Amino acid sequence: MVTAPTRKRLDMWLTNAMLMLFCALMIFPVLYIVMTSFKTRGDVLTSPPTFFPPVWSLDGYQQVFRSNMLRYYIPNSFINSLLSSLLVMPIAGLAGYVFSRYRFRGSRALLLAILGIMMIPGLTNLIPLYRMASDLQLLSTNTAMIAVYVGGGLPFSIWITKSFFDSIPRELEEAALIDGATPLSALWRIVVPLAMPGLFAAFLLNFVDTWNEFLAAVVLLSRVDTKTATVGLLDFQSQFEVAYHVQAAGCVMIALPVVVLFLLTRKIFFQAMLEGSLKG
Amino acid sequence: MKIADRPLAVPQPARGRLARSLQRSLPLWLLLPALLILLVIQVYPSFYSIYLAFQRRQAGVESFVGLRNFEILLRSADLWESMRNTLVYTCFYLVITMVLGFGLALLLNRRVRLTPLYMVLLFIPWVLSDVVAGTIWRWMFIRDYGILQELLQPLVQRTLLADPVGAMAIVIASSVWRSLAFATLLLLAALQLVPREVQESAAIDGATPGQVFWHVTLPLIQAQVLVTVLLLSIRAINSVGLILAITAGGPVRATNTLGFFLYQEAWKFGDFGLGAAIAMIMFALNIILTIVYLRTLRAEV
Repeated sequence: MVTAPTRKRLDMWLTNAMLMLFCALMIFPVLYIVMTSFKTRGDVLTSPPTFFPPVWSLDGYQQVFRSNMLRYYIPNSFINSLLSSLLVMPIAGLAGYVFSRYRFRGSRALLLAILGIMMIPGLTNLIPLYRMASDLQLLSTNTAMIAVYVGGGLPFSIWITKSFFDSIPRELEEAALIDGATPLSALWRIVVPLAMPGLFAAFLLNFVDTWNEFLAAVVLLSRVDTKTATVGLLDFQSQFEVAYHVQAAGCVMIALPVVVLFLLTRKIFFQAMLEGSLKG
Repeated sequence: MKIADRPLAVPQPARGRLARSLQRSLPLWLLLPALLILLVIQVYPSFYSIYLAFQRRQAGVESFVGLRNFEILLRSADLWESMRNTLVYTCFYLVITMVLGFGLALLLNRRVRLTPLYMVLLFIPWVLSDVVAGTIWRWMFIRDYGILQELLQPLVQRTLLADPVGAMAIVIASSVWRSLAFATLLLLAALQLVPREVQESAAIDGATPGQVFWHVTLPLIQAQVLVTVLLLSIRAINSVGLILAITAGGPVRATNTLGFFLYQEAWKFGDFGLGAAIAMIMFALNIILTIVYLRTLRAEV
């Protein structure tokens, strides 16, 4: 007869074993590409393939460092993601604040409409956006990418910041207003500092999203010096056709910034995702 | 939807007419930047897209052709093939992601001490770009050199990437891999809303764990489960990046979904009218799902 505590411990042990197995499976492809990035040119084309590099080499990374990936693609991604996320944060924050604090005719319908925009497939708008960018002579520019990313990130960010403002008690601002502060200074001095985590969450999700964005970038960017990392990876693949270790090193370099950012801020990240998708 | 219970009380109206009217219109001024950008980048292009769907370029000139684009589409076998592929892809993706997501969420809901570590590991595929993820998956299945292809070779006896069913399976597997963490997070959050006592008392009354799940837990989190399903299906219908990076629609159009079909018509063949018409069809699918989604959200709160 197994006693209850033993059973419980066995249960926990099994649970952990299953979870570990699952996580190992999930992380396997990522580890595989990291391993590949440290192989030599010859070792990526062995049959049967090996998981660990037989000889550890930095050749892949050396070639990435000499390529357009580090000269153009990754810096462009940085500029586009950083600027668009920095712009989205205050613009969405102000709108989120209004939706949280004020009511006017149609405000609810407007909020629903903005949420509805979130459901438009990005692909649908690409053809018109391409035309617009072409008419404005903005094809292959960072400006066009940033504009598209700001417009794309706003609905979700408005939603997140609104939920965040909702959780801040309005009595604080009202007290300031009674003391004679203007609504704007109450917003700036009292609400904004308290809402910082929400604003940061919006920044974070936008940064990761735009960093990984591919379709708009591949459609709007054709000049080498304005391409972003995800688009550049395609060129990279034709340039280093069978040099898989170089391609793998490129993939690792592209993934590294967002993975590190995610690891550093995971709590805010999870919270923001739940906030944005479930909390009505 | 949680709209603030009451508007902000502004105790002292500003003095002077100009100041007062400024104060009253403050919310609109604060909203203005967001609204303008959304109009230019989202609303206008959507209407432009509708307009394009009724245009056709002939000899370099675009002209109104009514429903011609839709006629061409509905007559071509390509559209139906893409629809079927999208349906197969979405269904398998949805079922597998939900089943695995529930499994993981239930395991994690046992208050495992290492939960934060597991969540981080699970989430790494989610933060990768489609192109990077696609590249990884394509390599794992390259003939002779791909590690998973070699592992599975004795089992399947063929190169999966070159096989219509195999390629679709790879695309589905990689999509599940990308979204699993997201589904798990949403489902875990839902599970944690269920009071522990409810499940425990059902268990004391003699219900098996399976019964507790089906008859007690699931009905309580129905709304959240539905929201997760809808979010995943919208994602599936619109997905292009992974397919582009892994199979590029092949072999022989076996993984050519609606999204990829649109991408190809508009950007490979330059037929914007036809592309826009496909976009309309996808749009309709999305609208239907969106309405269901908003209804669910509203019913939930």
